[in-house]
Parts: sequence; C-alpha cells; structure tokens
Amino acid sequence: MSERAGRLSRLLLLCYPRSWRRRYGDELLGLLVDTHLTPRSALDVAAAGIRQRLHAAGLSVSGGIAVTIGPAWRHPTAFALVAAVILLPTFVFVGASMLAYELDLGPVRALVEPTMEALANWRVIDLLLVAAPPLAAIAAVAPLVRVGIGRRTGTLEAVVTIRALALNLFVAFVALILAGMLIWHIVVESVLQAGA
Amino acid sequence: MAQRTSTNDPSLLLLISLASGPKHGHAMLLDVADFAGVRLGPGTLYGALSRLEEEGQVEGLPVDGRRRPYRITPRGRQLLARRLGGLDRAVRTGLERVGA
Repeated sequence: MSERAGRLSRLLLLCYPRSWRRRYGDELLGLLVDTHLTPRSALDVAAAGIRQRLHAAGLSVSGGIAVTIGPAWRHPTAFALVAAVILLPTFVFVGASMLAYELDLGPVRALVEPTMEALANWRVIDLLLVAAPPLAAIAAVAPLVRVGIGRRTGTLEAVVTIRALALNLFVAFVALILAGMLIWHIVVESVLQAGA
Repeated sequence: MAQRTSTNDPSLLLLISLASGPKHGHAMLLDVADFAGVRLGPGTLYGALSRLEEEGQVEGLPVDGRRRPYRITPRGRQLLARRLGGLDRAVRTGLERVGA
C-alpha cells in the first residue's frame, strides 16, 4: 500500500467509533492492504463507519436514510463561549443603561447618554444589539440537542437526545432574560410614543 | 472475476463461509465471491463480522501475523442452520411455482 493510500485508510477509520477502532481498526487496515484501496472500497468503509456510529448510538441501520443531526454536539463549551461573546455587548449596554436610569448613577449616565445618541444614528448597531440575545440563546442551546434518523426493527425512526450542561444553560438563561428585557423596553417605548 | 451483486445480508454469507472452517477477512471475501458471486466491501465485511461477534455467532482466534482468523460458534452454526432451513423451503416453493 502506498503511503498516500495508508494515510487515506487511517483517515477513513475515523468514521468509526473509537472503541470499534481499538478492536477492529488494525485488522481492517490489514484487509485494505490485502485488497487495495479503491474508490468503491473507500466509500464502503466510510458508509460502514457511519452505520457503526449509529449502531453504537442505539440505531441499527440497514439501507435507507441514516443521518445524525447535531453538529454542535461535540463542542458544547466552545459554543457556550461563542454565545457569551455574542451576548457581551448587549449585556454591557443593558447593564450600563440600568445603572444609569434605574439606579440613577450620574457618572454612568454621562457615559451612556452619548452612546445612546450615537446609536440613534447607527440603527444597524442598535439592531445587532437587539438580535444578539436570541442568537446567543440558539448558539448556547444547539449542543444540547441531537437528532438521529435510522432504521430499527425495519421502520424508520427519529431519536432525539437532549442533555443538560450547566454552562450552556446558564448562558442561554442570561440571553433569554436580556431578550425579554429588550422586548419589554421596546413595547413600553412604543406604547409611550403612541400615547404621546 | 466475481459478478457484482448486491445483498442485504452479508452476515448470512459470512456464516456460510465460516461454516467450512476458520478464515481471516481476505479469505472470507474471496470465498463469498466464489460461492455466491457477491463482492463484499471491506467495511461491509467488518461491519457484519463485528455484529456477529457481538451476538456470539462468531469468535476471533489469536492474531496470525497482521490477520485475525474468525470461526463460527456452536450458536452461530445453529442459527445458520435455522435460517438456511427457512430459505430452503422458500427456494423450493419458488422453484415449484415457476416450474423449474
């Protein structure tokens, strides 16, 4: 087997679950050396690896569609951090506004008011600050849900797996609170304007 | 050259192959191609083999060089006989009905 084919064979093995690779990986590599890696056998190995992953997840697949939808499942902390970064500007802005107007802190108010005036001329930034909390909530919750579709006892089934991770749930909770506050603020402002 | 034919049951073909004695992966591929005209892919073969081992129908023997031979277990032989018996009845009925 050429060095390139060897590398490709080892890459194809990544389609399989780790426990399966530990038990059968060397044997399958040996068989690929004996039979020579062709496009057809590479496709066969990749498809069998995906079936094996579904089998390990509780879905036995033979023919038909076989997919797992959960692109963020393996990186929950990274997604929580990205969500926190998306949320940060809105969090700072809402927090400063509360300190300035609800608690009437003069120095903070002196900082917030020019920013508010500037934002009146930059509606795009204003819109991004409002859109950030729902986006952050979606990013934080995405790794908590995974959907698998496959065949078990002959019928096509969808299996939804949901898990709870403290960091992701906390970021999603803060994002939803901020979204609620912004919606409330927009509604109250609209009512006041309509009343005026 | 073996005819390219698809099959939905590679595990049955592997059990039939192992019924004649222990074999490693490549020998099983060649045997199946010879008696059934089916060319199994390496991923399909090891997928079926790992499931059969999980179900206790085949077992791995000590590694010979870089190859591990497998053999059919008594439970695998019993299940194979039962499945082939069912197929035999279906095949005989089918042949009678088409007048062959």
